[in-house]
Amino acid sequence: MKRFAGRIAHAAFVLWAVATLTFLLFRLMPGDPTLNFLSDSFSEEMRADLLESFGLDKPLPEQYLIYLGSLLQGDLGVSFLQKRPVLDILLAALPNTAALTITALVIAYAFGIIAGAFLAFARGTVTEGIAIPAALITRAAPEFWLGMLLLSWLSFAWGIFPSAGANVAGSEFTSEWARLTSADFLWHLILPALTLALYLQGLPLLLMRATMLEVLNDEFIVMARMKGLSRWAIVMRHAARNALLPVATAFALGLGSSFGGNVVIETVFSWPGLGRVLVSAVQGADYPLAQGAFIMIAAVLVLMNMVADLLYAWLDPRVSVGARR
Amino acid sequence: MNRRAMLLAASALTGLSRLPLGGGSAQAQAAQGDPIRPLVLLTRPQAAAPAAYQAAELIAQEWRKLGLQIELRPLPNQQMSQVVWYERQRWDFTMWQMVGRPERGDPDEMVYNLLHSANIATGYNFVGYNNPAYDRLAEAQRSEMDQARRQALVRQVQEVVNQDQPYAFLVHPVNLQAFNKQVFVESSAVNQAGLGIRNFWNWISLQPTGAQRDIIVNSTEPVKATNPFYVSGAPDSWVTDLVWDRLMRVGPDGLPQPWAAERVVQPDPLHIECTLRDGMAFHNGDPVTAEDVVFSFEAPGTGNESPMYRPFVQNIASVVATDPKTVRFTLKRPDAAFRIAVLAKLNIVQKKTWAPVLAEYQNRPENLESYVEERPIGSGPYRFVRSRVNEEVVLEANPNHWAKPKADRWIMRIITNTEATLGAFRRGEINVLADYFGDPDLVKEMAEANPRMIAVREEVDIGFQFVGMNLRRAPFSDAAFRRALSASVNREMMAGAAWNGQAVPANSMVSPALEAWHDAGIVGRVPGGNLDGAKRLLQEAGYRVVNGKLHYPAGVRETTTPFQ
Repeated sequence: MKRFAGRIAHAAFVLWAVATLTFLLFRLMPGDPTLNFLSDSFSEEMRADLLESFGLDKPLPEQYLIYLGSLLQGDLGVSFLQKRPVLDILLAALPNTAALTITALVIAYAFGIIAGAFLAFARGTVTEGIAIPAALITRAAPEFWLGMLLLSWLSFAWGIFPSAGANVAGSEFTSEWARLTSADFLWHLILPALTLALYLQGLPLLLMRATMLEVLNDEFIVMARMKGLSRWAIVMRHAARNALLPVATAFALGLGSSFGGNVVIETVFSWPGLGRVLVSAVQGADYPLAQGAFIMIAAVLVLMNMVADLLYAWLDPRVSVGARR
Repeated sequence: MNRRAMLLAASALTGLSRLPLGGGSAQAQAAQGDPIRPLVLLTRPQAAAPAAYQAAELIAQEWRKLGLQIELRPLPNQQMSQVVWYERQRWDFTMWQMVGRPERGDPDEMVYNLLHSANIATGYNFVGYNNPAYDRLAEAQRSEMDQARRQALVRQVQEVVNQDQPYAFLVHPVNLQAFNKQVFVESSAVNQAGLGIRNFWNWISLQPTGAQRDIIVNSTEPVKATNPFYVSGAPDSWVTDLVWDRLMRVGPDGLPQPWAAERVVQPDPLHIECTLRDGMAFHNGDPVTAEDVVFSFEAPGTGNESPMYRPFVQNIASVVATDPKTVRFTLKRPDAAFRIAVLAKLNIVQKKTWAPVLAEYQNRPENLESYVEERPIGSGPYRFVRSRVNEEVVLEANPNHWAKPKADRWIMRIITNTEATLGAFRRGEINVLADYFGDPDLVKEMAEANPRMIAVREEVDIGFQFVGMNLRRAPFSDAAFRRALSASVNREMMAGAAWNGQAVPANSMVSPALEAWHDAGIVGRVPGGNLDGAKRLLQEAGYRVVNGKLHYPAGVRETTTPFQ
């Protein structure tokens, strides 16, 4: 319990640090949000009006205290440019990002775990000679390049998948849930999720393979072989379960980092998620929206870190036993 | 000539021997002033503005031939605006652009706001151009009600600018747009001067040919807000244009024409009477009244409630409803651009909805811009259905409008990837390509390969690209120096090489798209005319090249701090 409380305090500190850094970062950047409104009718009076309406006319320490006070009440403020509550904007984009990230991670990790396990068995074979470089190439290839290749083949040339967006133009749905579970949405999801999965699969595959190679030398595997168990049973029932530990941790951390790291994929596929909200907020010096997006991404990452910790302890009781000592 | 050939030609020219500008002799050395400091040309990064960046490289190349040391300094958009706008003493010259907007169909915005000396300190005259003769002409065109006399004044303005060259104008971009003529009757598309087919008239006129009855148009930027008192970017205004009516509209010819007001009468320069159309109604069924119109023009001027629209009502002394159908404006001073800049710009809102909101917001720290209507109510030809940020905005035709659109819905899709935009157009996911900054040849090739499907439209933009020179700093404070810099710019080559042929040379803030106001021969009258002419101008003004570096005229010291 004490350890859990410690983790919570640690997470709170990280979030405070992120909140403070993003607050200062945007205010130290050259330019301010009034530059978005420069036009031939722009005047100093208009600038002063805008700064006042943004609350940027107040001294920096006062702005900071207001900001922290609001944050503690769960208020992320109002977007300078969209004039809507930041939380509403983020929550509107979150389901799209969550759908894309979780789908891609599940595909990448399911494939990576199975392929990694079998590649450990196939050590020194031609299969390994082809599969490992292939995994490394897809891991190393820039996401936008992979995305553009898939778009040009599967969408522009063969016309199988749509080119952009999360739904057909003007589609009507009775609820957000109906939209997210519609065939139309899933059809639009395939290409971006596949691109992200291709990019992500290298890590679980290589991790799984490396851990499996260690596990396969353990005595209980030798025993399983001596018992005459099938290759499938040895890999899946004995070796893989023991090799899953670091992969499970990587999954939780990957989930956290991918929430904020989909900017490229979201731009290539015009996917309306958190990454694009973040980019347009930073470009437009929309401080509250950018801060809110960073904090939300950081919160997911911190949460997933905690989940990884707990998962580790659950999967391997030795970890929590060690902690108690 | 294609882009590659143009660039090769440009590079080859750089290698030509440099013509002497007075030579490097001891005699010349004795007579010259200080060498001109290295000059810094600000530009947006290549990734953000590839054409403008390439143009800056070409310009720098030409100016180096004059003996100048030019450094290109790419700055992110925000940082560049910060320097140019708020640090007006600090920079040398900058790449800049004015974009086309319907209300710029009247030259007043460009003529008065850009270069009148009243705007030097904090307004758009960031180059610091101060010429009393220009100011008089800019003011005169603003208050001249006779069209022919005003045209003559606007032409004089252009000639004064041509002689003084506070900007080195570069090009007017040519908008490339396309639509699917299998979905819409080709002849139903309406082009607007300076804007192309991305215009209000086209959206109400496009006639579907069959079952696909939605206009699906792309935008590279998201719509940020749908609010009659706030616009945060161009796509916002495309939506507000359709949802709210205005008393007048800028017509396809670029001139104002009555819209919600069926009649607009100006008995004298200070008074304008607008008679409303019969039977107009808001989307909730309530009638549009003269009181609504009066409120719509009073609200932006109330306190600090609408910073974006307040400047446009500041010249209104009073607006009153003289009867249930008539609204009378009294102006503080004559304004020839009032119809386009104000009557065709401000949205007519329902007083019943907005008056309580205005009263409430006057007691709050936020202003009217922060009020979000769940479903905005206007009286325009399209009704708001929904907006999903970064995805799409959906409007539906208002069946009760006197100018009911031919299409059923107007849908704007936000597509950030240029290639995907083309793919989506080819696949029919969008049917109007209205916002495209990619390679124009790709669209043209696609149209050639699909002649039955794709109709392409090209239109010279109202806006322009230019180099703004900081007249507060030597040597830009010398008109002869500015004329020489401008003369050495090869605008034809720039339009071909940097803008890939999608631009026409410019030497005026009034685009050739505005035929009534543009001085047709102005591009051919740049003083000096070319690089040799530029060298001659510098020679005549006393500048000399010594050891490859351009020096000020005799006796002039370099006292200006270089841009860091």
